[in-house]
Amino acid sequence: MAEHINLLLVDDENDFRQILAKRLTRRGMYVREADRGEKALQMMEEQPVDIVILDIKMPGLDGIECLQRIKANHDMTEVIMLTGHADVHGGVTGIKSGAFDYLTKPVELEHLIRKIKQAHHKIQRILAEKEEAAFKERIQQQMVVAERLVALGTMASGVAHEINNPLAVIQDSAGWLHQILEKPEMQNMPRIDDFKKGLNRINTAVKRAGKITQQLLQAVKTQTTEMVDPSTFVEVSLKKLTDEAITLVEPEASLKNIGITLESCEPHPIAWTDPLQLLQVLLNLLSNAIQATDAGGRVTMILAASLEEAKIIVKDTGCGISKENISRIFEPFFTTKEADQGTGMGLYVSWGIITGLGGLISVESEIDKGTTFTITLPVKK
Amino acid sequence: MYKTSSYIMLVDDEKDFVEMLGLRLKENGENVIAAYNGKECLDTLEKKQIDVIILDVKMPGMDGIETLQKIKAQHPLIEVILLTGHGTIQSAVEGMKLGAFDFLLKPADFQELTKKLNKARERKKEQMERIQKAEAAMLLRQSKL
Repeated sequence: MAEHINLLLVDDENDFRQILAKRLTRRGMYVREADRGEKALQMMEEQPVDIVILDIKMPGLDGIECLQRIKANHDMTEVIMLTGHADVHGGVTGIKSGAFDYLTKPVELEHLIRKIKQAHHKIQRILAEKEEAAFKERIQQQMVVAERLVALGTMASGVAHEINNPLAVIQDSAGWLHQILEKPEMQNMPRIDDFKKGLNRINTAVKRAGKITQQLLQAVKTQTTEMVDPSTFVEVSLKKLTDEAITLVEPEASLKNIGITLESCEPHPIAWTDPLQLLQVLLNLLSNAIQATDAGGRVTMILAASLEEAKIIVKDTGCGISKENISRIFEPFFTTKEADQGTGMGLYVSWGIITGLGGLISVESEIDKGTTFTITLPVKK
Repeated sequence: MYKTSSYIMLVDDEKDFVEMLGLRLKENGENVIAAYNGKECLDTLEKKQIDVIILDVKMPGMDGIETLQKIKAQHPLIEVILLTGHGTIQSAVEGMKLGAFDFLLKPADFQELTKKLNKARERKKEQMERIQKAEAAMLLRQSKL
């Protein structure tokens, strides 16, 4: 009947308490007993309790004081007061101090059980409300992040478009000069090597800038064309794809002596998606994980599936991401790497791809413990 | 670098870009003609024999795709290489379905551009040769009648 309600019965009258405990236990409740307020508080520290049944008149810490302390430390615990026959006043004081209700002794068992259940319902309702509020807040946060990323992306892609043209001009100007320097009649030009060196630098820098604009435009494209072109969707064995990704990054990992392990549920999950784009995301997450992890560390990939969705988890034992950084990690151009090590586009592109594939990507991290990225993909369309 | 008798047209609204790419191609011995919009491109085609056109997709007024359609309608043998600054390969794919030879992402690598240019020119040349052979065969047959 009662769904595992944890009770704590507090009364200094041993006979009364023991009989009541026995009866409540017979009704399927978990009952523990305390003969003093101090002991009750101590027991609550050791193991949580749903409902306390508390006698008001006790030696030492009395019922009302005990109630106040319970409410101060365990806000989810409900308290039912027991008062002497003539002590209505005590009961009222109890309710004012946060008790769920009070009963006068002698207690009628059915009445008490009814009150316990009411109190239990109240707890469940509050828990459900809290969960709902937390869920709403999480969704809202994700929406705020998504909106900001889309806005940033729109602006950044506008900039990228405009920059591509001057980039092309710079590249071809440098290239033209280089072509001239290659001519036979130019070979005796003073300081020709310095000119070539400068031109090569221009060329490298332009290539880098071009790569950034292309990545940016790709990311914006994948998230704005509603969904990625579904004609590229096929049935993908996530196990196979993950194996492929691991094989590709293995050389990088073995340089740092980092082991990569794959744990997959059975049967291996299948997703209906674009394998190339998903592979790109996996490579990005894996290579990030390897870069963040010290030599000798470990990277774990986990595949899990339910009827509705498949999960790909990439976990590292690396340096972790700080609270300030984790909220910005999917933004374009956000990076903590050296200027020539990372463009800050990788995770932004990955986010764009996964969103475009109709999935979700999220991150959890603890400093010095490691970081976990979770990709959730729909199983069927 | 070899001299060729073939002509290449560059079409882009970005004048500096056309000029610099033109200089590079000329340095390689190419004959280069510039046009700064779709209309200018089409007008020039009426006056001049062109083999390969390097055409920017994004231009104000008549865009690259529209220009491409008109080129292909009036001069189907001219090969067109599309330049897209979009990063979106979408318009390039559309262009290739409309008959463009190939595409390049801006900023394009010059080596790659040269390679594609040569391939396009090669294809045009082969096509012309086939046409000449067919014409010769036709004349031969007519003379036998």
